[in-house]
Amino acid sequence: MFALRGIAVSLTFFVLVYCLLSALVAVAWRSLRWLHARGKRLAGLLFALRVLPLAASIVVTFTFVVPSFQLLEPRSMDIDEGMGAVPLALGIFALLLIAWGCFRVITAQTKTSRVVARWLEGARPVAVEAGAQTVTFCSRSEAPPLTLVGVRKPRVLVSKSTVALLSQDELQIALRHEIAHMQSRDNLKKLIFRFCPFPGMAKLESAWSQAAELAADDSAVSNLDDAVDLAAALVKLSRLIPVEAAPVCTVGFVTGSIRARVARLLAWDEAGKAQPTRVRPWYVVPPVLAVLLCVLATYGPALALTHDVTEWLVR
Amino acid sequence: MTKAFSIFGSGSRPQLGPFEQQLLQELWSQGSATVRELLADGRIHQAYTTVMTTVDRLYKKGLLDRVVEGRAFRYTPRHSPEELQRVTALESIRQLLGSGDASLLPLSYLVEALSTHDAQLLDELQLLVEQKRRELRESKGRDSEARGSR
Repeated sequence: MFALRGIAVSLTFFVLVYCLLSALVAVAWRSLRWLHARGKRLAGLLFALRVLPLAASIVVTFTFVVPSFQLLEPRSMDIDEGMGAVPLALGIFALLLIAWGCFRVITAQTKTSRVVARWLEGARPVAVEAGAQTVTFCSRSEAPPLTLVGVRKPRVLVSKSTVALLSQDELQIALRHEIAHMQSRDNLKKLIFRFCPFPGMAKLESAWSQAAELAADDSAVSNLDDAVDLAAALVKLSRLIPVEAAPVCTVGFVTGSIRARVARLLAWDEAGKAQPTRVRPWYVVPPVLAVLLCVLATYGPALALTHDVTEWLVR
Repeated sequence: MTKAFSIFGSGSRPQLGPFEQQLLQELWSQGSATVRELLADGRIHQAYTTVMTTVDRLYKKGLLDRVVEGRAFRYTPRHSPEELQRVTALESIRQLLGSGDASLLPLSYLVEALSTHDAQLLDELQLLVEQKRRELRESKGRDSEARGSR
């Protein structure tokens, strides 16, 4: 009973923190002024915001709830508090939420594997300059023009029509764009989004998707010639109509607002790219240390408070 | 999404009657509604049973979802107007490819097969790209001339 109560209480805290933070993020993400960041940094921030509720609920559960229950809950057989209706109901809800997330991930993976296996019939690897081992040429007509598939072993699929339409330079830069998605593990990020569903998150995910495209454009392009080649490839491949909707674990080349991406590429600022913003990780060290010290200093009272809330929930 | 394909006949336009389209528009504007709520705002001048039969037909065509609410159903559009448009476009291409051996279709069948609006936008973007390319070539030419004259 003790263990069951502990699990129920932990799941209750998990689901409460998750739902509260998710609701907060879904409502407030657009009003955050610092989202005026650009490119890779913006994509990173949006991803962090999207997964914040899940990450925070896991951290809170394992840092405060589980230890407070282990240390402060009496184990005596004489005291049988019961599980409490609220922890039981919320615990079941949390389990259902986790099961739903797992189901969504498995479905997405299965569907993607099935579709990609069909695209890959008769496919062969291509030796090109940009990531030779990861590029596959697809001859089937329903294969998308240019897309990144897979999570564990990602690879870029190039269709017959793409090779026919693009010049050598355009193809190279378009491949570099997809390889940038691969390096950012964007398919894995999409799968994580599937695991933590919450109403009202679709717009945040869509904003992340657009930011990820711009970030991949930035990573692929190193000068104005590249930018124009990438814009040309984008316009050319936009003229190809996808034969079927792309499954979840894929990142297509023609994604997001084409007009915005082309306009941004044509206004490429070589000076801006040549002097990338310096990342100074040591700036993060003092705030992280301060937070850690605060947590350490207040850990005992925080555990006691968590236990009080637990008692209140159970009774 | 596949269930929505049942609304397509041999053509690329969804086969919806005027009253079905009117009800779909109403549901898009209201978000979700019961038959009684659809009739309540006074824009639909049909009998309750007619509206009920028509929304049931839209449900069976895969365009609406429904949940029981009291003794009636609450209907919600399954797709946004944009999604429905996208499905329509995809289905017309699928029908084109399904009409014969898809692998034998020349590339030109697929290229330029977008809607007029999108094609126009892409034409404009292509012009901008070509203009930028010309500018780049000219500036490079000027640079190499300047270096040559030095």
